[in-house]
This record gives sequence, structure tokens and C-alpha cells, in this order.
Amino acid sequence: MNKILLIIQREYLSRVKKKSFIVMTLLTPIIIAGFYGIAIYFSVQGITGTVNKIAVVNENKTLTTQLPSTKNRTYVYVPQSLKEIKSSINKSGYDYILYLPDFSIDDPKGIQLLGSKQAGLALSSKISDDIEELIRNQKLKASGIAQKDLDKLKTSVEIDTKKIADTGKEEDSSAGASTIIAYVSGILMFMFIMLYGVQVMRGVIEEKTNRIIEVMISSVKPFQLMMGKIIGIALVGLTQFILWIVLTASISTVAMKAFVGDKEMKQSIQATEVQTKNMPGAKVAAAGNPAFSNIQKSLTNLPVTKIITVFVFFFIGGYLFYSALYAAIGSAVDNETETQQFMMPVMMPLLFGYILSLSVVTNDPYGPLAFWLSVIPFTSPIAMMVRLPYGVPDWQLALSMGLMIIGFIGTVWIASRIYRVGILMYGKKASFKEMIKWFAYKN
Amino acid sequence: MLSVKNIVKQYATHRALDDVSLEIEQGKIFGLLGPNGAGKTSLIRIITQITAPDSGEVIFNGQRLNSDHISQIGYLPEERGLYKKMEIGEQVMYLAKLKGLSTAEATKRIKYWFERLEMGSWWNKKVEDLSKGMQQKVQFVATVLHQPELIILDEPFSGFDPVNADIIKNEILELNKQGCTFIFSTHRMESVEELCDQIALIHKSKKILDGSVEDIRHQYRNNTFWLEYQGDYNTSQATELFHVLQTDEHKGLTRIKVQLQNGTTANQLLSALLPHVAIHRLDEVIPTMNDIFIEKVKQTN
Repeated sequence: MNKILLIIQREYLSRVKKKSFIVMTLLTPIIIAGFYGIAIYFSVQGITGTVNKIAVVNENKTLTTQLPSTKNRTYVYVPQSLKEIKSSINKSGYDYILYLPDFSIDDPKGIQLLGSKQAGLALSSKISDDIEELIRNQKLKASGIAQKDLDKLKTSVEIDTKKIADTGKEEDSSAGASTIIAYVSGILMFMFIMLYGVQVMRGVIEEKTNRIIEVMISSVKPFQLMMGKIIGIALVGLTQFILWIVLTASISTVAMKAFVGDKEMKQSIQATEVQTKNMPGAKVAAAGNPAFSNIQKSLTNLPVTKIITVFVFFFIGGYLFYSALYAAIGSAVDNETETQQFMMPVMMPLLFGYILSLSVVTNDPYGPLAFWLSVIPFTSPIAMMVRLPYGVPDWQLALSMGLMIIGFIGTVWIASRIYRVGILMYGKKASFKEMIKWFAYKN
Repeated sequence: MLSVKNIVKQYATHRALDDVSLEIEQGKIFGLLGPNGAGKTSLIRIITQITAPDSGEVIFNGQRLNSDHISQIGYLPEERGLYKKMEIGEQVMYLAKLKGLSTAEATKRIKYWFERLEMGSWWNKKVEDLSKGMQQKVQFVATVLHQPELIILDEPFSGFDPVNADIIKNEILELNKQGCTFIFSTHRMESVEELCDQIALIHKSKKILDGSVEDIRHQYRNNTFWLEYQGDYNTSQATELFHVLQTDEHKGLTRIKVQLQNGTTANQLLSALLPHVAIHRLDEVIPTMNDIFIEKVKQTN
């Protein structure tokens, strides 16, 4: 036991002391906080894009009203003809020219958006929406609806998703918040298992190519060496993860203050508080973006402790499950280039689980595919993390965790049998057949 | 101190050791010889408990070999290396602690050995900054640091320059004087004659020869002598006594290698020659381990 501790200590310290580890650990939160800060800055300031100034050349006689300008689009009706304004586009200060030809209101054809630069898809679809609304309103008015009735028709719908707990109590939740958490934890889990699993493999190959392996296993059992390495690297991963959380949180707080300023922060917090107090009940006209504050609110309502606990469990479980396989691969080859043929079958289920989790499971978190993906140990670390924010029945979580434990005990056992033989094989090209033979060796 | 009894080790299709038995005495240097692929490394791996035999047993100091003995055995494998990115001091410390030494004890002994082998300034150096010979010194220190009773060296001199090889050889002899038992696996025969008290020759998974170096060499004598003399002598007149294997002449001196016929003694050879020539030298040719090795291996092929 003491020997395993020594191995863990070496594996841990030798990695944590590396320059690349320190740089990665410090740089990543700064980058994440930077993105986060910019996103918050824009959502608070309401700047979602540049303002486009659009010259409208209207030759249409059926359109009786003008296009109203919005926050991002300023429509200016110009008297010039299309030809005239086209030739002076660069000097005129307009970004685009919108040409409305004389079409029938029932068949709008020939509308053009011209500019010295190509208009983006978002802009052209927004302008098309604007024109459609204009035409629709005009048609409605023609059928005898008054302007004030028309205004009343405009409603902004925001769906409040709520989950009914077993007790019958309503719980605030937000599909948006759950999706964010699901994505983030799914991606993190995938990254971690890949990143640190491969580190285990590299470590094993390093010991083989450095020829220290035989010195080592004359003092320790191969199983101790393998487990020491796997656990040591897991601790490196957890250290990095915790540092990332702490650093990201503190940097983003500082960055938010710097970007947004105290006053606006308080306003935003107050708005959320007001909303929370008045819930449930009357509609609240909250300042700022209601969807955004809704997500913020739901984030605080999600079972954060549970999510973090389950994350750590599945990180350790999934990591042990896969890293044992990586250790077996590392033991079977002489250098990293030979790992390709073995990497594929190990990576496939993980990649498969990752892609399906982020597409199918987020759309249907309670379906049969989501269920199976989240209980089978090959995919459960990612799929379960993706499902968790939407709420998972306790028995399924327990089943998934139980299978995970059985799964990693299984892979560790299989891997250690291959490992003990593989590490002593030099210059022999390993194959799956060979590895099965090693597995069957007595000792 | 170490008895290897009827060891059999079978890999899938290949029998690496076939009923091998050895007896290694306390305080001796034991040479384990054999061509490549004979099974030496397999045997060593069983003694160091890296693998287990299919049948047979190893007795260490009267006890069946078990994990308590790991700290009493030091092993320098043929395929040896160090962690490239680790500092020397740290690395030797790690290996020492894995053998069960405390930090304080390990520090003391590492300092002693580093001083002794003029490696004092290496503590904070990284392995990748050392030459191959320097690395081997570090490995040697790591092998002997925990004061094992039995030290197993697999090709210890490969890669050493003559100066360092000599330093290591003297350290081996010094440790041996203090009571360490050595197993020494090699195919460099000159070092066997120099160092080993006893040998075993393994070929094609079987032990084909063992005993003390002295005995074996004497056993393999075949009545061959070097004779140096001045004067003329027609060797063909004495064919009932000996036949000539080789003749050199140099500045009036004649040197011949002769093999005596069965039953003839060196005295008879001398008396036959004495009336005719002035004898300068008579040497018995005792076969080298190299000759015996080659002869034995060829025989079994």
C-alpha cells in the first residue's frame, strides 16, 4: 500500500511541477473568463451587433407604410433612383441599399439587397422578416382591423418551464439552463477522459521506452505501478479541474466588475431578486433580458451540489474505466505511433456517446436511447452528465453508478492482466490476438 | 543462500526454462551464462519475482521466495533506464523508498554513494543531461543502495567505458568482500573468469553445465601445452608422445602448441626434448570460459 502511495506521489508531483501543466491551468480560466466576460458585457450593454444603415429605394406603389427602423437596422427612404444611389454608395454613408420594385402585394418579387459588402444571412433574413411583417400588417388593415388592434396582437411569449417534483411541488427549471449545464458538463467529461486517459497511456509508453519498467517491477507489482499511475494522474486532473473552477470564478467576478461596472451589476442582481420574490404570480416586467435572467435564476435552482458530486463520481469512474484500457494499450506498444490501431476501438464508444449525448439526449432526455446511453459504462459518464440537469430518477442514477463501478473494476482487472505481460515485451508488434493471449497467461 | 529447484516456465508455445536447478552459495559471485534467448532473463525474472514459475520453487535463505525478500534483492536489468525528466537525486530517492528505505536513511546512503563514485554534483541534474555511462553509474547506485544480500546484474558492463567499468568492477568486488552474493548474467566471458566463483551455463532452456570456474576449466583441460625452446628438434619423431597443433618461430625461438597423447605426462614430454633443445617455457593450456562456452553450445546444437 505504501508503495502505491509513493508511486501516486511521484506521478502527481512530476506532472504538477511541469511547466505545461502550470501554463494550461492558468491560461484556460483566463480564456474562459474572457469569453464569459465578453458575453456578459454584450448581453448587459445590449450590443448584439453593428447598426446597419440601409437606404430604401421604393418604387412600389402598393406599400403604403414605411419600414420601421429597429435597434440594429435603420431604414432611410431615399428619393434617388436605384441607379443614382448605386453609383454613390461609397460616399453616401449607407451600408446597404434595399430595392423594393413595383410588385403586387400578393406576389412580392424582385426585392434586392445591395451593398459594397455581401450582407450576412442573419441580416438578410431579418430584413425579409421586416418586409413580411409590413406586408402582413397592410393586408390585415385592408381587411378592416384598426391600428390599435394590430398593436395589441403583438405579444412576446416566454415559456416558463417547470418540473413537478415527486412531492407535487413545482420546481423552477429552465430548458435553457439545463441545456447549458448539460453541454458544459458533457464536454468537460469528454475532454477530461480523453486528455487524462491519453496521459496514462503516454506515461506507460514512457516507462517502456525509457526502459525503467523492469527496474520498477523488481520493486513493485505491475498492478501497483499501473494503479499508482492511474490514481496519480486522476489527482492531477482533479487538481486542474478545481483550480479551473476557482480561477474562472474569481477571474470572471473581477472581469465582470471591470467590464460592466458595479451599478449595472447591482441592477441586474436586483432585477433577478425582484423577479424571484414575485414568483409565482403576476408577470414581471424585469429590466434587461427576461430570458437571460430566467436562465440565471434557474441556474441557482439546479441541484448544484448533486451535479458536482455526480460529476466527480463519473469523472473518476469514467476515467478509471477508460484509463485502464489506455494503460493496457500503452503496455502493448513500443512507441506512440503504434497506438493508432488500438486507440480507435477505445475511442469510438466515447466519441459515439459524446455525439449522441449532445444531439439526441439533450432533445429527449427521458427517451429509451438516453436511458441506455446513461447506464452503459462506455457512454454513461457523458450521457448521465448531460441528462442530470433535466432530472434523472434516483433508481436510474443508482443503476448507472453501480454499473460504472462494476465496469471500471472489470476494465482495471482486464487491463492489469494485459499490462503485466505487455510491459515486458519489447520490439514485438502486438495485436489484439496477442493481447488476448497475454490476458490468459497465468502469471 | 539461493536454491532454484526444478523450475519450469512455459510461454504459449515456447518453453523458456526446462527443469532448471541451481545452487548459489552465500558470498559468492555466480555467473549465469548462455547465448541470447537461452532463458537467462526468464530465470532472473523468476528470482526477482517479476514472474512466477509454472512449477518448481526458489528458496531464499531457507524460506520459499516471497514478497518480503524484494527488499533483500537488488536487480540491475539489461534493459535499464531512468525517468528522463526527473532529477537524479529525486529519482534514486524514489527507487530507494520503493525498496523500503526511509527518507533519512536513503539520503544518507545516496550521499555516501554519490561521494564515493564522484557523482556529488549530480543531485539536481536531469537524467537527459547525463551521458549513458553516467546514467549507468546512477543505476548501479540505485541497485545497491538498499544494501541487498543478493545483487543480480544483467550485462552490467555493456555501455561502460573501460575506466568506469573498472570502477564498477572494484565496487562489485568490494561489496562481495562485505558479504554480498552476486548473480552475474553475461556473455562476456573474460569478465566471468575475472569475477565469478561459480557458473551455470544455460542453453535452449536447459542447464547444461555448472560448477566452480576453477573446476570447470580444469575439467576441460585436454593435455594441451605451450612449449618454447631454442634449438632444432624434429617433432615428427615423437608422434607417439604428442602431436603438434601450431608452430611459431621468432628470432631463433620456437613456440609450439602440442597435445599429449593419452597417458603421456608433461614430464615425459620434457624428457624427450631436453637432450635436443634448451627449454624456455612450458605452459599448460587451460581452456578459457569462452572456449568451453563455445564448445558446449556447439555440442548441444
